[in-house]
Amino acid sequence: MPSARGEQGSEGLEAGVWVPATPGSGKGAARAGESRALVSEDPQADSSISPLPHLEAKIHQTHSLARLLTKYAEQLLQEYVQHQGDPFGLPGFSPPRLPVAGLSAPAPGHAGLPAAERLQLDAGALSALPPLLDVVRRHQAELNPRALRLLRRLEDAARQARALGAAVEAVLAALGAETRGPRPEPAVAAAAAAAAATDAGVFPAKVLGLRVCGLYREWVSRTEGDLGQLVPGGPA
Amino acid sequence: MPAGRPGPAAQSARRPPPPLPLLLLCVLGAPRAESGAHTAVISPQDPTLLIGSSLQATCSVHGDPPGTTAEGLYWTLNGRRLAPELSRVLNASTLALALANLNGSRQQSGDNLVCHARDGSILAGSCLYVGLPPEKPFNISCWSKNMKDLTCRWTPGAHGETFLHTNYSLKYKLRWYGQDNTCEEYHTVGPHSCHIPKDLALFTPYEIWVEATNRLGSARSDVLTLDILDVVTTDPPPDVHVSRVGGLEDQLSVRWVSPPALKDFLFQAKYQIRYRVEDSVDWKVVDDVSNQTSCRLAGLKPGTVYFVQVRCNPFGIYGSKKAGIWSEWSHPTAASTPRSERPGPGGGACEPRGGEPSSGPVRRELKQFLGWLKKHAYCSNLSFRLYDQWRAWMQKTHKTRNQHRTRGSCPRADGARREVLPDKL
Repeated sequence: MPSARGEQGSEGLEAGVWVPATPGSGKGAARAGESRALVSEDPQADSSISPLPHLEAKIHQTHSLARLLTKYAEQLLQEYVQHQGDPFGLPGFSPPRLPVAGLSAPAPGHAGLPAAERLQLDAGALSALPPLLDVVRRHQAELNPRALRLLRRLEDAARQARALGAAVEAVLAALGAETRGPRPEPAVAAAAAAAAATDAGVFPAKVLGLRVCGLYREWVSRTEGDLGQLVPGGPA
Repeated sequence: MPAGRPGPAAQSARRPPPPLPLLLLCVLGAPRAESGAHTAVISPQDPTLLIGSSLQATCSVHGDPPGTTAEGLYWTLNGRRLAPELSRVLNASTLALALANLNGSRQQSGDNLVCHARDGSILAGSCLYVGLPPEKPFNISCWSKNMKDLTCRWTPGAHGETFLHTNYSLKYKLRWYGQDNTCEEYHTVGPHSCHIPKDLALFTPYEIWVEATNRLGSARSDVLTLDILDVVTTDPPPDVHVSRVGGLEDQLSVRWVSPPALKDFLFQAKYQIRYRVEDSVDWKVVDDVSNQTSCRLAGLKPGTVYFVQVRCNPFGIYGSKKAGIWSEWSHPTAASTPRSERPGPGGGACEPRGGEPSSGPVRRELKQFLGWLKKHAYCSNLSFRLYDQWRAWMQKTHKTRNQHRTRGSCPRADGARREVLPDKL
């Protein structure tokens, strides 16, 4: 299990780097029952060593990471709209919520799905986000080359999405649930799309970036919520 | 107000917008899934314009059912709705806009011109880039730290305000041969600076210039020609020590070490000392320290804390005839002069240690006197050391006299004793 590191702001989170678990609330293991139900029972396992505390710690840590990244995602969105100019960022600004290939917002029925399925959807979205964030960063490097903090936040967001996605996959594996398995590398699809670019214009590029940053925030927040339901003592 | 289309120069200077991944975004012209099927296209898309010029734009609506009317459409610019009189319906599906005397863009990513449907929903957008071409950068200055690198700084023309992203590129080449090179490490000592870290030749002139480029054009500075050896600077002198000179109340001794990176080349180096009283912001500068590594400050106030700094100019390095560039000041070093009853004079001069005469007028005359004495008198042991000892003795005896005056008692005219409080400690 990767060693824990302290919170370092929006930098420094790599795949497999864990945020230390927040101090325990001291609540009883009200949600531990659900975690136990999801753990696959391995008849070969040594009965004297219980995997449950290890799994709970992993869930707790991943939940903490998701909570931290939700905060960063909000900061990224604020920073992004600031650099695009009005009306981006104005209350009531509502550009068309056009679909982004390979990624959509969490469905309205997401919360009603079984835990493993929700986490699988979370992991899938988190793996689709990094190449999209990279595309947005390249656009912003052209449009706002002096916005160094924005560019750094976009770069960090891609890395953090990968890290959180890997952590969720690890939780799924520990729960004995099916993970995504090998899929075509999302970056390949994004690179191929970039090669077949159209001259769509700067305003659509700004809207795309807003959409991607919004999706990143939605999915990280969704992941935090889904993991929170598995944390012992978390909401039902 | 001028009215017309953007000039051909502005249009030809337009940079193509960054390409968008085809699969990643449905262009704002494709059918919208959420609120009807009306879409639009704005023309021109992302124009570049001079400040003060005019723009005529159109928003053409495509929709279902065909022939969707342009009535009810409106424009916003940077989120603010534009006055209706600036728009007119060209035909059933096209709304036109005429803007005159444009101001510079509010943000470098472009002003957001948006076409809205009657219900306020966004149909299309275009980003305007309104600004000025760059003016010639000027006032290039460069320096080399220890002959190992070159850092240059410049001033952008028109104070840099073009309202457009303007790229500055520092170029350099050897004067007599070689190709143009481009500096790569920017913003090292401010927004308009660049650092060349290595591979620089000595004893041969370089030509250096700055090119500024934005969407509306480019400009080039005058060429600066220099030899690296003529613009050398170095580190501040390390190990600056300030100490008292025995009991002398108005003097402090300052010692330092030559900057190590150039210590083998600094035989003609110059040094400067500056010092100030602890609670003052006014520095006094001692300019005439030549190539020594020690100095004595005289004429100081007794019982006072002084901050002292030293800097170095590697003048004459490798035979350079140019002035050289002063290093930064060393970190301040503090010391205090011994206390005295008698306030010292406020002036300062640098007196070298070891009895070497300085250029101060008192000591110059004293030197002449001592020289005459050695010739014409029998005082062969006279020296500055003896003179300093005499001064210390004088100050000590003066203090003792003052103590006798203020301590104990002194008789009054009527014979009664009067107690006097001792000095404050």
